[in-house]
Amino acid sequence: MKKQIIRIFALLNVTLACSCSKSFLNVPIQGQSSPANDPQLATNLVTGVYSSLIYIDPGGGWNTDTHGISFIAATNIMSDDADKGSFAGDQPEIGDLDNFTETPSNTFVAALWNGYYAGISRANNALAALAISPLDTATKTELSAEVRFIRGYYYFNLVRFFGGVPLVLGVPTGPRQADTDPSLVTRASDSDIYNKAIVPDLQFAMDHLPLRSAQVVGRITKGAAETLLAKVYLYEKNWLQAFNLSQDVINSAQYQLVPDYSTIWRQVGDNDAESIFEIETGGYGNTDAGVPLYSECQGPRNKGGVWNNPNFNDPTGDLGWGFCTPSQSLVNAYEPGDLRKAATIITINPNPLAPSGDTLWDGFVIPNINSTQSPYYNYKAYHSERKDGIETFYGNRDRKEKNIHILRYAEVLLINAESANELNNSSVAIADLNQVRNRAGLPNTTASGQTALRTAIWHERHVELALEHDRFFDIVREGRAAQVMQAVGKNFVQGKNEVLPIPATQIALSGGKLIQNPGY
Amino acid sequence: MIKAIPVFSRIDQRVFALTAKLILGLFLAGSFPLKGRAEKNRITGNTIQVPPVHQVTGHVQDTSGAILVGVTVSVKGTTQATSTDANGNYMIPVSDTDILVFSFIGYREVEAPVKGQTVINITLQSSSQSLSEIVVVGYGTQQKKYITGATATISGAQLSKPPLLTATQAIQGQVAGVQVIGSDQPGVAPTIRIRGTGTMLAGANPLYVVDGVITSDITNINTADIASMSILKDASSEAIYGVRAANGVIIITTKQGKKGKMQISYNAYVGVHMPANLVKMANAQQYIDYVQASLGPAVSPTGYSTDWYNQILRNGIEQNHSVSISGASAKTRYLLDLGYLSDQGIVIDNVFKRFTLRSNNEFDLAPGLTLGLDAAYSNGNTQNVNLGTAYNDAYRAAPLIPAMINGKYGNTSLFQNVGNPILDIQDNNNNTRDNHLEGSGYLEYKPVPWLTLRSDINDELDFNNNRLYNDQFAADNNTFVTPGGNQSNSISNLSVQDNFFYHWVWDNTATFHKQFGQHDLTLLAGTTAEEFFSQYIQGYRMNVPSNPNLWYLNEGDANTQSNSSNEEKYTRNSYLGRINYSYGGKYLLTVNFRADASSIFSAAHRWAYSPSIGAGWIISEENFMRNQHIVDFLKLRGSWGRVGNDAIPPDASAITVTPNLPYFFGGNATGGSAITQIKDQNIGWEVNDETDLGIEFSSLKGKLSGELGYYNKLTQNALIYVLVPGTLGSQPNPNSSIPAGYVLTNAANISNIGEEVSLKWNDRISRKLSYYISGNITFNKNNVVGLNGGQPYIDGPIGANQPDVTRTDNGHPIGSFYVQKVLGVFQNQAEINAYTDSHGNMLQPAAVPGDFKYQFNSNGILDSVYAGSYQPVAYYGFSLGITYGNFDFSLDTYGNFGNKVYNGKKAFRQSFLDNVEASTANNRWTNSNKTQSEPRANGGELPASTYFVESGSFFRVDNTTLGYTIPGDILKHTRAISSLRIYFTAENPLTIKKYSGFTAELPGTPTNSGIELNAYPTEKTYALGVNVGF
Repeated sequence: MKKQIIRIFALLNVTLACSCSKSFLNVPIQGQSSPANDPQLATNLVTGVYSSLIYIDPGGGWNTDTHGISFIAATNIMSDDADKGSFAGDQPEIGDLDNFTETPSNTFVAALWNGYYAGISRANNALAALAISPLDTATKTELSAEVRFIRGYYYFNLVRFFGGVPLVLGVPTGPRQADTDPSLVTRASDSDIYNKAIVPDLQFAMDHLPLRSAQVVGRITKGAAETLLAKVYLYEKNWLQAFNLSQDVINSAQYQLVPDYSTIWRQVGDNDAESIFEIETGGYGNTDAGVPLYSECQGPRNKGGVWNNPNFNDPTGDLGWGFCTPSQSLVNAYEPGDLRKAATIITINPNPLAPSGDTLWDGFVIPNINSTQSPYYNYKAYHSERKDGIETFYGNRDRKEKNIHILRYAEVLLINAESANELNNSSVAIADLNQVRNRAGLPNTTASGQTALRTAIWHERHVELALEHDRFFDIVREGRAAQVMQAVGKNFVQGKNEVLPIPATQIALSGGKLIQNPGY
Repeated sequence: MIKAIPVFSRIDQRVFALTAKLILGLFLAGSFPLKGRAEKNRITGNTIQVPPVHQVTGHVQDTSGAILVGVTVSVKGTTQATSTDANGNYMIPVSDTDILVFSFIGYREVEAPVKGQTVINITLQSSSQSLSEIVVVGYGTQQKKYITGATATISGAQLSKPPLLTATQAIQGQVAGVQVIGSDQPGVAPTIRIRGTGTMLAGANPLYVVDGVITSDITNINTADIASMSILKDASSEAIYGVRAANGVIIITTKQGKKGKMQISYNAYVGVHMPANLVKMANAQQYIDYVQASLGPAVSPTGYSTDWYNQILRNGIEQNHSVSISGASAKTRYLLDLGYLSDQGIVIDNVFKRFTLRSNNEFDLAPGLTLGLDAAYSNGNTQNVNLGTAYNDAYRAAPLIPAMINGKYGNTSLFQNVGNPILDIQDNNNNTRDNHLEGSGYLEYKPVPWLTLRSDINDELDFNNNRLYNDQFAADNNTFVTPGGNQSNSISNLSVQDNFFYHWVWDNTATFHKQFGQHDLTLLAGTTAEEFFSQYIQGYRMNVPSNPNLWYLNEGDANTQSNSSNEEKYTRNSYLGRINYSYGGKYLLTVNFRADASSIFSAAHRWAYSPSIGAGWIISEENFMRNQHIVDFLKLRGSWGRVGNDAIPPDASAITVTPNLPYFFGGNATGGSAITQIKDQNIGWEVNDETDLGIEFSSLKGKLSGELGYYNKLTQNALIYVLVPGTLGSQPNPNSSIPAGYVLTNAANISNIGEEVSLKWNDRISRKLSYYISGNITFNKNNVVGLNGGQPYIDGPIGANQPDVTRTDNGHPIGSFYVQKVLGVFQNQAEINAYTDSHGNMLQPAAVPGDFKYQFNSNGILDSVYAGSYQPVAYYGFSLGITYGNFDFSLDTYGNFGNKVYNGKKAFRQSFLDNVEASTANNRWTNSNKTQSEPRANGGELPASTYFVESGSFFRVDNTTLGYTIPGDILKHTRAISSLRIYFTAENPLTIKKYSGFTAELPGTPTNSGIELNAYPTEKTYALGVNVGF
């Protein structure tokens, strides 16, 4: 028996010795793939770059954002188009942006910095993976062009938010790379951002992407690259390039104005004839996969009483948090008869006793001014929750399927008009302008002469693209931000508030290499 | 292998035979004593001449008079033995010439010659000063007096203090160097910190080793099953557990059957929990006055004055039953324990129920060969409550709103941005069921007396199911007294999650022990292999019917379904060795070594080494100490060791791809992916070096004993999240624990230096009266001594206006509060005008009289200051025990001082309409009450400041028990019951604290502790219990 027992022990030890070979300790991470074992890595990473347009943080844009609540705050709310909204104590840091009292520690500003650099990082990773991918050259080039368009677009937003920023066009080697490579924490000039990132990226995209008719819906097209580059030249006051590129888009015959302006921001208008570049949303995994909080944070908010809408998802509830409420100055900006006003602004029935209240296009009733926090809400952000599915809705309010229209044909016409006017080609400018006005139910413009026409075009951009995230950048570009903002009573300081503060955390992390914008 | 089978079949036969004997024995009551005698005679070879035999009975207690249950009473030189029952009594047949041996873990062995006596009562010397006490150390046992490191051993009797869930709660205040931060939440174990907090992120909980099973959870163990608990406090004793021992090791050994007659005992108690230390909130009138004074919205009386805490708290009933059957025959020892616990929390709907079953068996298969098979099963059922929301809402909800009327809820959200706290709890159903199985088997073989070979396989299986159902309800008058507001849920939903883990560890050790003259040498060598695997699968659907019978996923809307799963797996392989050497019983040397490899780390950083060395000198054994009679025992010890901490996520260093990032091409959903995180691929263990010095003594014939200790611990390469520039593009990864923007890396050094003192005095005044007094205190100084790169780590989120209140930085304890400093209250406008910077600019131009005056730095910028930490300067405990005749009384206390807590629930106050504490309402600054400590009535949203930092010092009576043992002669008439004790216990009846909140005991992570945001309320418990022996 003893011998047998010793044998058992010997056996145990032999088994143990085997089990403790190296393979026992080489345990791959479960449930998380590594770059090395993903055969579709490059194409998946490209899709991941597109996905960054919807979100970086599925939890909603509070810390890392591209087009969610931080983006809305730093574009629409900061402009004269809209006010913070909600109730007084809600999100005071958005109120700071609205009132130009934001500090370098503003979390929404930090979220944009982190969000756009996260998007750029995805693009850089995808480009690196494409470079070594076994895909054929044509596919690689086209995918690279799509990715570079998005990277260029991200840098364009960054430079408009902050001015010159660190220029990162490669994949970091490790967490301590900033210790040895100061370019990661040193601001490039804004012309470097334009000339080394935005323009070459968009030019590459323009040169290698197909026209809309030859491209899958949702993928970046040549027209999108041309339109964005034309817009970039508008900012650089390169009127000739802006004109030529916008004219090329017009001549491509890929786009036209849709007859009914009010359909553009509804689901029925997704990828319509006017669409040039929009952020695609949809259902994914049996739930909504839209830009986090985009629709919800701008939804009309209840102040008292029950809203009764039996055919809707939440029969007794309101629609959201009530941020980004259209300002009185925007309401006043529309000419009489402009169809765009009612399509852009939800106006709450001002009669506090109104029994039936306002009815939205899908039949949703908001009782009256006493039942809401604000008199106006953003109609373009509205997404129907009707139970019969007039617009797709799985019930995830945080992620409603609202496509964000970044570039559309009306803007091409306005770019063409503006650059033509600056090139003293007023007849083209007037023709473009009238196309846009007539669709809105307005007569031809009466403006004439370069200056008056310039004002008319700027005004047309204001109302045509109201609450479409460009207004603040436009008035800065036009050199009249202080004038416009001070006129509506905002504490805008010229030479300071044209750009956001560089986030204090980033300056601290740079060891002081990152220089703050003046005045902050 | 084939040849081995007959061995096992023979074993099977023996097991069968033994089991049959056992069952037979159960039927033939009273046969055990006879059988015992037969065995004795067979072994002594005396089968003809039977010496005169009589029964000896007696009672066994310790020096404090506490009854000792399960003491082995054996007849020297034979296998005949019994053990004391639940009343401390025993009965054994002996002959006049026999010598009885009384032995019990944690106590000194006593021999008593029978010499014609029929009653032998014995008092065993308690453990702390016992010279020959055997204590459990890693992978073996050792005599306490020869240990050169810092360890503590607590017997099972001291641990099973009703009404406590876990054994670790029972040692609160009992062991120097061990800080126990309690929680009164049903089913939740206390937080343990051994000799300070030596890590920020790698997990600060000690390693639990239950019968060889390395585990992280001991809530599934019935405390009544525990025989002893050893706590390894210093690196030299921990080093045998290598890279997981840095937070200390708690070794739990469960009971085994003892030689002698079958023991059946029943223990039960019933208690009631009551909320303790409630914070009084403003009533309706105080609230109205405060809101008006704060210039908030107009509010008027409603006729209601709701005390919301009163609405969500209740008295909870706890009951616990446990039955134990144990015994042994010649070659087998068995123990079967059944336990049932039902514990209602003091928050409505909160219940924890647990059923436990344990079967421990040992078989002597052949001379020198022992097989052990232990199995433990527990079934837990927890009805959770949404305390995070409800408790906060109860603090904030206006007293003007009725709680409930005719089954409908008062509508708080219509009035203010706060949910109804009762509805917060009742609008969802969150139930967790846990099935836990632990098993271990070992084979121990002693081919020769000096060599022990042992192979242990231990495993742990856990099946955990969580079901969360959220009701559908509208903000209408079906739910609320008045309709409106935003507390509603338009679609019901159900989330079901199954968690599973298994874990096995296989230890193989060889122990050599031999004495050569004055030399005593023990060598241990061993290997271990270990695997850990966990997974979860989760499913979700909306629109599930409200009937609990239909809370299944397939009852919901298939168009809303989603699911997910993930796994984690890692392995370890280790080699260990130990040398224990002593010379002349005076000079001691211990050397440990362990080498660990873990799959968590990249191949280049895989191996870690944990050496330790310790030396001791038992001065009392020296000749020059022979002639004094004051000191019985005196030992000096010193050691140094290195251990580690590898509680690091398996994905900490590997670059991974985040999948399923959606986009839509041509209307089709497509899942993309991204490389979202920057990783430090050189990440490695946390290394913990510790020096330990100690003096242990016993004097005045054991009346006074104690231990003094000093330790100096340095954690190097501690893990810390380092924020990296946003330009590196780090992003949220839902599959990773690393927050967006951060890199997890080894970049901090943490020091813990402390002193420990424990003293115990015990004495017997008369035959009936004995008592003991004991106390211990531990001083610990925690300090971050090196942040590589110097980047402080911030944590402690309170709410939107106080995003972080703690900071971990060089020169301060981990998780120190870092907030603005309140200098006082502005009494008038002149003071505000006069508060200027060096240029004469007003520092707080927006302030009005009654606002706080904050400290600014010399640049005119608001200054934040370090305002203390949750870590106490010292923690202590005092105990008292008295035995008088059949009565026993004990009192345990616990306290700490020098720590701070953050009143987070007060800081969370967000609007004019949020309620305030009654004291805030009464003491606020007004023109007629010009206080410097409370601001004027305000609308909340105050910045984080020293106003919210309060003293965390407290002193508490933990447990006080009065017991009465029914005299044996009364019980004789029952014929069935051999012993019976009844007792009354008050747990936590009294707390003395400065803190204005519910409790200063606020567990959390190392960088986020001592913050009362939604801590479970404290309770006091009164319980009545019985111990019955049959």
